[in-house]
Amino acid sequence: MQKEEFSKICRELSSGGSHALSRAILPAVKEHLASHNKKKLPVIWLETNDSGDNNIAFMNTAYPYLDRVFTEMLDLLYSNTFMAAQGRDALSILEQVSETYKGKFTLVVEGAIPKKDNGRYNIIARTETRCITALEAVTRLGGPAEYVVAIGTCAGFGGPTAARPNLTGSVGVRDVLDREVINVSGCPVNPDWFVGTLAHLLMYGRPDLDKLGRPTLFYGFTVHRHCQRRSYFDNKDFAKELGEIECMFLLGCMGPRTGADCPYRQWINHVSWPVKANTPCIGCTNEDFPDGSSPFFTPMAEKSKGQEGGKNASNQGGEQA
Amino acid sequence: MSKVRVMFSPVTRLSGLLSVDVILEQGRVVEANAGGTMFRGYEWIMRDRAVTDAVYMTQRICGICSTAHGAAASYLLDELYDHELSENAQYLRNIIFAADFLQNHIRHFYFFSLPDFVKMPERPPFHGQNPADIRLNPEDNQRLAGHYFEAVKAAQESHQILALFGGKVPHQHSFVHGGVAAAPTADKIEQALALLGNISEFVKSRMVPDTELIARVYSDYFRLGITPRQFFSFGLFRFGVKNEKFLWRSGVLADGRLYPPRLELISENITSSWFEQTGAEDIKPDPLKPGAYTWVKSVRYAGRYFQVGPLARMMINGFYQGGAATMDRIYARTMETLLLTELAREWLKNLKPGPPPISQKSTPVKKAVTAATDAMRGALLHAALIEDEKVVKYNIITPTVWNFSPKDGLGGRGPLESALAGTEIPSQNMLFTILGRTIRSFDPCISCATHLLDCKGGVKAEAVF
Repeated sequence: MQKEEFSKICRELSSGGSHALSRAILPAVKEHLASHNKKKLPVIWLETNDSGDNNIAFMNTAYPYLDRVFTEMLDLLYSNTFMAAQGRDALSILEQVSETYKGKFTLVVEGAIPKKDNGRYNIIARTETRCITALEAVTRLGGPAEYVVAIGTCAGFGGPTAARPNLTGSVGVRDVLDREVINVSGCPVNPDWFVGTLAHLLMYGRPDLDKLGRPTLFYGFTVHRHCQRRSYFDNKDFAKELGEIECMFLLGCMGPRTGADCPYRQWINHVSWPVKANTPCIGCTNEDFPDGSSPFFTPMAEKSKGQEGGKNASNQGGEQA
Repeated sequence: MSKVRVMFSPVTRLSGLLSVDVILEQGRVVEANAGGTMFRGYEWIMRDRAVTDAVYMTQRICGICSTAHGAAASYLLDELYDHELSENAQYLRNIIFAADFLQNHIRHFYFFSLPDFVKMPERPPFHGQNPADIRLNPEDNQRLAGHYFEAVKAAQESHQILALFGGKVPHQHSFVHGGVAAAPTADKIEQALALLGNISEFVKSRMVPDTELIARVYSDYFRLGITPRQFFSFGLFRFGVKNEKFLWRSGVLADGRLYPPRLELISENITSSWFEQTGAEDIKPDPLKPGAYTWVKSVRYAGRYFQVGPLARMMINGFYQGGAATMDRIYARTMETLLLTELAREWLKNLKPGPPPISQKSTPVKKAVTAATDAMRGALLHAALIEDEKVVKYNIITPTVWNFSPKDGLGGRGPLESALAGTEIPSQNMLFTILGRTIRSFDPCISCATHLLDCKGGVKAEAVF
């Protein structure tokens, strides 16, 4: 599969199980690996300060399912969520694989990184003598990684973990590493965005990124642009209550300034998305989520400012409608 | 004899980050200090926000049980705005809620617990698995390991049911105050029934027999990881116009008797937690506090620790008469999964196709509201003080706080720590295996657990039961 074809699939394959993204990608990945004599993508996955929703989202990948992602695409070398090893056995594996795969592994970080008090608000593991903070682990593994992928909005930009008043001084991964971080934002991420990004890394290397470091394949257009209810917006036909079928703009919809392909990608085997459920998009892929989206049910112009005075509130990287 | 200290960290295969500091003496656990090592300060994050944001914001406390927080926040807002819920809204809410339970229980059993008892294939993410004490014969082992991969689909389909009605998940959108924003149309009901049929088949033909086999082969775990027989539940699956009825009852089971829970008897303590008291009603995080070992606070009811979760629900409702050991907790969770597949089918059949069952009023009738329900892992409480539809204080007690209570200096241990203490470890290389089985039987969720409640500040001792 050529890169252009891959990109086309990512952009165009939309709803419905038979056209699902990863079903189309995985056979190609397998073929590509066989013909280029490549191994699977070695991945070290660190869970930091988050709700754990992104690993659950990853488990929801469909066609093929998680088991085939494990067998054909990724070698998940360290993962607090999935690995069979535990305790110091798990920690030894982390030390060993970060050495063996130096310069070759992809570091996936799930969660924000607390910086206050030397990062003591998130300890990924302890030994008898010391604590390994998320700050230390991400800083140490970020250098030797071939790629760093921040999964979810907390890891990307701080997200709900860094929402005001941000007692823990949490930031996105990009703010603790002096290197490029690929942000696959969302609260949680749509599994297609994540699996598709890893597939791209495996076969073609770094995907094209928007100014927020996100693959343009998935984040390049606003929700508003592709929304099924766009004609209602254009006709100024607005819903007044949740549950109505018109445009959700007056109920706080963030679609006009949110880069994501939810309207046609949809969620969980591509069956629905928030606007289809008669509720507004709350802009969960945005740099200033959730503060820049709240109050969630208040029209955009009347929302409060995002983090740090909303410096990025009108500059979300997504193409404007 | 000399004591040996071993740090069990990270305890993998759970939600969040957990370390257990274990003290051994002559091959026996004499003390275990369980430490939740992540803190976000969610109660502070909730302050000064529009109270109607609570449904979406609080779901982000937890990825694996997000719907439970959404439900608790919705019940809280229902009371704040004095909503009336239609029968269809309650059926649909409970279907959405049950779908997340199915997802949780299936994933917990297969992804988190199964590799404690079954030798998995020697490849990532199962590489380096400690094979000590894997007892299944090769044929059974291979079959159960295969079911791990079948569970992938059954759990995903549970979330697909949820998304059909909820828009997305984790952090669904339609189960909000006043009802459900999505329409229960005939096509969605039919799709959900078809998906539920697959899940039901999986639970009956895989999860139940697999649990029974593990319970048989590892029957000593009916005598390991025992906690005091003190169980607590806020009840589960609400019905009625004012959410006044529960399908599964609430209760406090102690000394062989069942009592109705009284919120004013819940108390919390920060002796072993990384918090410092800054005023009569205020605390602040202090990650360097000497002697503290966790972000989880201690919670007691009437001065005693209580276990929460599927076993507590099954016991309180009289569905299970077994003990309070590691295997009882695993067994009760599977039993609950089976019951939920049947209930969800009944609710889907009772659901009438029609418009979105939602009606939201806009004027609050109270300034302090409390909502309690059970979540997947046990009792969940949300309580809020509200001024001009903005949150003044929002307090949360999650199930893992009950189960993972650290020592509070008043004597005794919380459920997890008491289950670990006294465990015999026949050989050093089985330490993590044995303790891991007991720890996971509580289905730990640490991202959820690191929260706090200040009863004096937030919760009025209202009789909600």
